[in-house]
Amino acid sequence: MLAVTAALWAALLFGPTLRAVTDVDTTVLRVVAHTRTAALTSVMRAVDHVGSAAVVRVVAWATIAALLACRRFPHLIAYLAALLAVSVIETVVAVHVARIRPVGVAILAPWSGYAHPSRPVAGVAVLLVGAVHTLVPAPWRRRAAVTSAVALACLGLARLYLAVDHPTDVLAGVALGWAVPALLYAFATPDESFPVTYGYRPRAHLDIGGARGQAIRGALDQQLGIHVTSVEPFGLGGSAGSTPLLITGRRRERDEEVAVFAKLYARNHVRSDRLYKLARSIRYGRLEDELPFSSVRRLAEYEDHLLRLFRDLGLPTPEPYGLVEISPEREYLLVMEFFAGAAELGDAPLGEGEIDQGLAIVRTMWDAGVAHRDIKPSNLLVRDGGVVLIDVAFAAVRPTPWRQAVDLANMMLTLALVSSAEQVYRRALRVFTPDDIAEAFAASRGVTVPAQLKARLHADGRRLDDAFRALAPTRAPVAVQRWTVRRVTSTIGVAAVITGAVWAASVYARSAGLL
Amino acid sequence: MATLVVASSALFGAACASVRSPVPTCTSFGRLALVAESVPTASYVPCLGTLPAGWGASGFDASSGRTRFTLTSDRARGTPVRVALLPACDVRGATPTSPRAPGARTYTVLRSVSPRYAGTLTDVFAGGCVTYQFDFQRGPHIALMEEFEGAITLYPRQQLSVEVHRRLGVSIG
Repeated sequence: MLAVTAALWAALLFGPTLRAVTDVDTTVLRVVAHTRTAALTSVMRAVDHVGSAAVVRVVAWATIAALLACRRFPHLIAYLAALLAVSVIETVVAVHVARIRPVGVAILAPWSGYAHPSRPVAGVAVLLVGAVHTLVPAPWRRRAAVTSAVALACLGLARLYLAVDHPTDVLAGVALGWAVPALLYAFATPDESFPVTYGYRPRAHLDIGGARGQAIRGALDQQLGIHVTSVEPFGLGGSAGSTPLLITGRRRERDEEVAVFAKLYARNHVRSDRLYKLARSIRYGRLEDELPFSSVRRLAEYEDHLLRLFRDLGLPTPEPYGLVEISPEREYLLVMEFFAGAAELGDAPLGEGEIDQGLAIVRTMWDAGVAHRDIKPSNLLVRDGGVVLIDVAFAAVRPTPWRQAVDLANMMLTLALVSSAEQVYRRALRVFTPDDIAEAFAASRGVTVPAQLKARLHADGRRLDDAFRALAPTRAPVAVQRWTVRRVTSTIGVAAVITGAVWAASVYARSAGLL
Repeated sequence: MATLVVASSALFGAACASVRSPVPTCTSFGRLALVAESVPTASYVPCLGTLPAGWGASGFDASSGRTRFTLTSDRARGTPVRVALLPACDVRGATPTSPRAPGARTYTVLRSVSPRYAGTLTDVFAGGCVTYQFDFQRGPHIALMEEFEGAITLYPRQQLSVEVHRRLGVSIG
């Protein structure tokens, strides 16, 4: 279709071929004009109004708003690119071909600019293709495409009936407005990678059906010798940085049924990690001043390494089974032990044994020179009277004493949620000095408490942090240097990017005909 | 990704902005035919002859019922001469001046004489008219008026129709 259109454009640039094409076009228009009646003309004018600039703008902005509301950013970027690409090509072709409106047949509707390609037809086509590919789920797409094609055909027919465009102008408008975006969506947002679905699903959680599901099964079989029988999302609510999965199957080597926990990492998780760290470094300065991971492989490797390190230190963390490559440098699966029957800490009353185990975990981390950095109820599980620690993705080796102190405060707050500050403080004195605890709560403040723990503390309403401070020796709050060169440069950089984006958006909106 | 989007938008935006429809000259009959189509009754259509040094033409916009474009001098930045071809113009109260084409009448309405020389020049002919809205600093205004009037030619529709028919085999009427 695009090749034929390119040939047509070439033909329209030369006098003899332009004359021949115009002859054919005019003949067709004259034939169509014979069908004109007053009633039909009114209908065709109404249909033609659908292609007006105002309607196109309203629909374009509505689609943009819908994609923003659905947080479907890859589709949004592809949609904006399609609008811009079609607008630019349309303008370039119109200026160079400079085709006049049909002559020899009365034009019955208003027009603007050169005739070729038909701007209203191309505009409506790009909107329809955009809606079909970005808003309609795959199972309904074919039906939606057929409906859109019929609607576009009606508009094209109306334009010919009213003799506002030549037939070749309409065909070029269809080719440009339909084929170019369709190619772009197929390349940039293929349904296998960017499925259109409705209903809430955190962005971090990837679809594990289709080709990806097959790849996961094949990779586990080949690389870990696990013949997979099921792959299910697991604990999605507690994870925002990966896609957590519960995988069951049969381990070929030992011929036994296994259930393993796995975290699927992909590029979007690296991007999220990068943005998350940038936002944290701007908001909190040195508190969270850390470098992002450069690739999916590095992100997965880091957590795998920390899982092994924590196990070596004797900490009750899941046993790592290995890293599985789903797609080189794009997707990795970190496979580890699944704690069957474990409950989140707080789901059941806590005994002193569990409190001691929780505190012992922090003590061991202090002694070994590591910090978990994300101690909260959903990362502490209780199984058979034992406390286990999960999700070491944010852990750090050789952290600052401040960061270690924060770990202690968060552990004590988490334990106190299902007991009392007095009980936890009393048990903590068995492994920590009063000064250690005083320092922990001097370091603890709003920004150091994970969101889930903060929410639970707020719901609890006992002001546990103040209770601990009252129990511990008095200590002035630990001052944290928040302003760093990196924070300043990051803030300036982000402000510059936002300014540039606003400028680019205004240039874009004008260029794409959205203003 | 954000950088990519910003950069590509700016790049494409700049590319698109640089592609503007040129104002038809008196020898670009194809483009001039579109101007003629915008006001099918007009016996003359305005076109660009030779632009004097320091003048530029832009903002070409032809649609059913009117054609507009602007002429800008480097001695009158910010106040371009706005040219419009229309099916009819109101010249009540305007002062007749020497006509610029056979069969046409030219009128001037001055909105201001000093400190700025501003107003509208109107060429009226059978089936249409061309208006020129100007606003110049007094002093250089005499030269500027002469220059823009000399830059725009009224091209006879009949002659254009012959040229278009010779090239495209169709008659614009």
